[in-house]
Amino acid sequence: MDSQDIARGPTAAGTPREWRRFRYPQSLISYGSWLIAFTVIVYSIEYLNIPLDRMFGMFGRMGEILADRYYPADIEYIMDVDYIGSVIETIQMAYLGALFGLLITIPLAWFAAYNMTPSRLFVYPGARFASMCCRAVHETIWTILFVSILGFGMLPGVLALTLFSAGFAAKLFAEEIEAIDMGPVEAMWATGANLFQVMVFGVFPQVRVAFTGIGIYTWDVAFRAATVVGFFGAGGMGWYLKRNVMQIETERVAAIILSIIVLVLISELISAWARNFVMKMK
Amino acid sequence: MTASTDTEGYTLTTEAVLATRRRKRIVSAAVTAVLLALVVWSIDVTVVKDTDWERMGSIANVLEATNRFIGIDFELFPTLLGPAIETLLIACLGTFLGALICIPAAWFGAMNITPFKPITYPLARLMMTLSRSIHEIVWALFFVAVMGLGAMAGVFAIAVRSVGFIAKMSAEAIEDIDHGPVEAIRAVGGGPFQVFLYAVLPQVLPQVIGVVIFEWEINIRRSAILGLVGAGGLGLVFFRQMNTFNHHGVTTVILAILIIIVFGEAVSHAIRRRMI
Amino acid sequence: MSVLEVSDLHARYSAKGPDILKGISFDVEGDDFFAIIGPSGAGKSTLIRCINRLVTPTSGRIIFDGREMTTLSGKGLRRARRDIGMIFQEFNLINRMSVMDNVLSGRLGYTGNLRTLFRAFPRDDIDHALKLLDRVGLSDHVDKRADELSGGQRQRVGIARALMQNPKLMLLDEPTSALDPKISKEIMGLVKSMAQELNVPCLCNIHDVKLAMEFCNKIIGLQDGVTMFAGPTEQMNEAKLDEIYAMEVL
Repeated sequence: MDSQDIARGPTAAGTPREWRRFRYPQSLISYGSWLIAFTVIVYSIEYLNIPLDRMFGMFGRMGEILADRYYPADIEYIMDVDYIGSVIETIQMAYLGALFGLLITIPLAWFAAYNMTPSRLFVYPGARFASMCCRAVHETIWTILFVSILGFGMLPGVLALTLFSAGFAAKLFAEEIEAIDMGPVEAMWATGANLFQVMVFGVFPQVRVAFTGIGIYTWDVAFRAATVVGFFGAGGMGWYLKRNVMQIETERVAAIILSIIVLVLISELISAWARNFVMKMK
Repeated sequence: MTASTDTEGYTLTTEAVLATRRRKRIVSAAVTAVLLALVVWSIDVTVVKDTDWERMGSIANVLEATNRFIGIDFELFPTLLGPAIETLLIACLGTFLGALICIPAAWFGAMNITPFKPITYPLARLMMTLSRSIHEIVWALFFVAVMGLGAMAGVFAIAVRSVGFIAKMSAEAIEDIDHGPVEAIRAVGGGPFQVFLYAVLPQVLPQVIGVVIFEWEINIRRSAILGLVGAGGLGLVFFRQMNTFNHHGVTTVILAILIIIVFGEAVSHAIRRRMI
Repeated sequence: MSVLEVSDLHARYSAKGPDILKGISFDVEGDDFFAIIGPSGAGKSTLIRCINRLVTPTSGRIIFDGREMTTLSGKGLRRARRDIGMIFQEFNLINRMSVMDNVLSGRLGYTGNLRTLFRAFPRDDIDHALKLLDRVGLSDHVDKRADELSGGQRQRVGIARALMQNPKLMLLDEPTSALDPKISKEIMGLVKSMAQELNVPCLCNIHDVKLAMEFCNKIIGLQDGVTMFAGPTEQMNEAKLDEIYAMEVL
């Protein structure tokens, strides 16, 4: 036995066999991928002009700025009636957006599910494309577009959140539909039912629980997005954020961010509880 | 099992069954009606009352406003290559940095290997929740305030936003590991670092890499808009096009964003499929 | 005229794959309890599914009740399917729905979309369902969820569902493979007696040859997509069975 990396030993037939640590092509792909990733990282640092030397100084400065300008947070400001009103607006926008988004998602996901779509040639790719577009466009872009067309207010916010929720939920719903047991579906076809009836009796009872969970999750995610759409003119607490950032009222900004954190935490607790409740019930 | 049918008995039961079904239907119809009324009321209170319907004008006005966006600014297209690469690289670097931060975060956040449970575990969980609760725009605003405008603020915003998800998934993966290999490595005399390297890491690495790539794909979507608040990439171009009212330009930038997102999705799919 | 006439049927899974069925022909008369036997992979399941077009054959003719099944589509196909009741190996009930709703789902071919959405089946259907449930011995389980039942009970619901269609033909796809031997005999006996009462011929894909010989009056034996035996049960013997199952390695 010599080096660690090449071990030789006789087989039953007597011919020596070798074990090498480096195997082709698996090791090539594995090490190659790490190398590519490393190169990309290094190149990014170059291309984006990230000053590595200044970076460590930044942390000290960050602490300074936090302590100096963002503390203490202006809690009184967020207790203001107008601000609380905008918080309620945000909650309303979130659930309306999630609700309409989910309503759109039901047919959209049906069409985007390969096993149950009415037409695999046209409807399926169309639905997949539509849901991909909704998902790919960031909620802030939807907001800006709708505000540009419809003006300021809650309407563009609700519409933006609707499309965002639809994009988010459609993929999850479609995956649920594609994962069902096709046995009951086959049985329904065999009775002479049409596609709609097969969906109602064969598919929906199987996915109902998962859909509810996804719906609650969507509402949670929509709420997080809703806190910020106001920044771009769509109503809700985001607008207060924008105003105070523009006016460099950093203590008020800190307070607003704190209120966002608290609200999102509460919404997450509610949605986690609701999902557990649904799991136990069905 | 009776072969003959007792029509008297059946008529009664049929009535009962029909009545129960009808009752159930009425109840659910009533509940749906109430919910519908609530929704209509919400829409009225929020959207209808709040919207400045006069300023918005008629449907024709709205359609005309929408029509402004339809069209591509072909001159703009070539100039988008630089910002598009910048966006992609911000996503790459940001995800990488976030994954680095996740190493201690997942260590603290996994119940089975966290060093000092009463303090480090809740701390890690809190960090993860904070990271996920604060929208990336807010993080970007913060980092722009601290580091100034530019890509670095974007990288940090992406990093901090990603920590929550990656650390949570990694911690869950670590909590799910099979303890057999851990015991085995300890039995041959391995120290904590060796236990981590030979027993824990091989079990969780494929999952963690999958999660990182998944988050990278989402981060492309996020980096694209961080420029709206000054953190570099295509978002900045978007902002400028909106401000100069070049609506076709806005559509062009959105198209560019869609293209790089599709690219990211394709790469992410390909890699994650090969890993499984 | 026979209820079902199958001539020179060919079928395959994928366009480029080999033929699973290589020219099957047989007729089912109004009082038949017809068995299809053969080793796994012989094409029994595919054959059954070709009859109600859950699988589309590549060539051949299937004439059911005077209709050419291979060329039907849309409404015509649905109308034909509602005259064919089917019972499945894995029961294929809607697990989260009640026994009553499961049995009523047999009438979907006769129910409009709006009624389907609200599950508002007419009184006659409910009447019929209760009678069938009593006949299969499940009167006490009418409102239970389907997944609360045992295997044998679930198959009884399947039988009731299929008979709700007032079918002219019953297809049975290995109805007893998922059940233990005692229950299997009960189920086969139940189907046979109900089919005889209602004058419905049955075409049964079955794995257990003893059950086939006990309950069926005609047998067709498939091997690798080809008919190795076709005729009344009396003509079946050990030698012919060995021929059919020669390729099966268990």
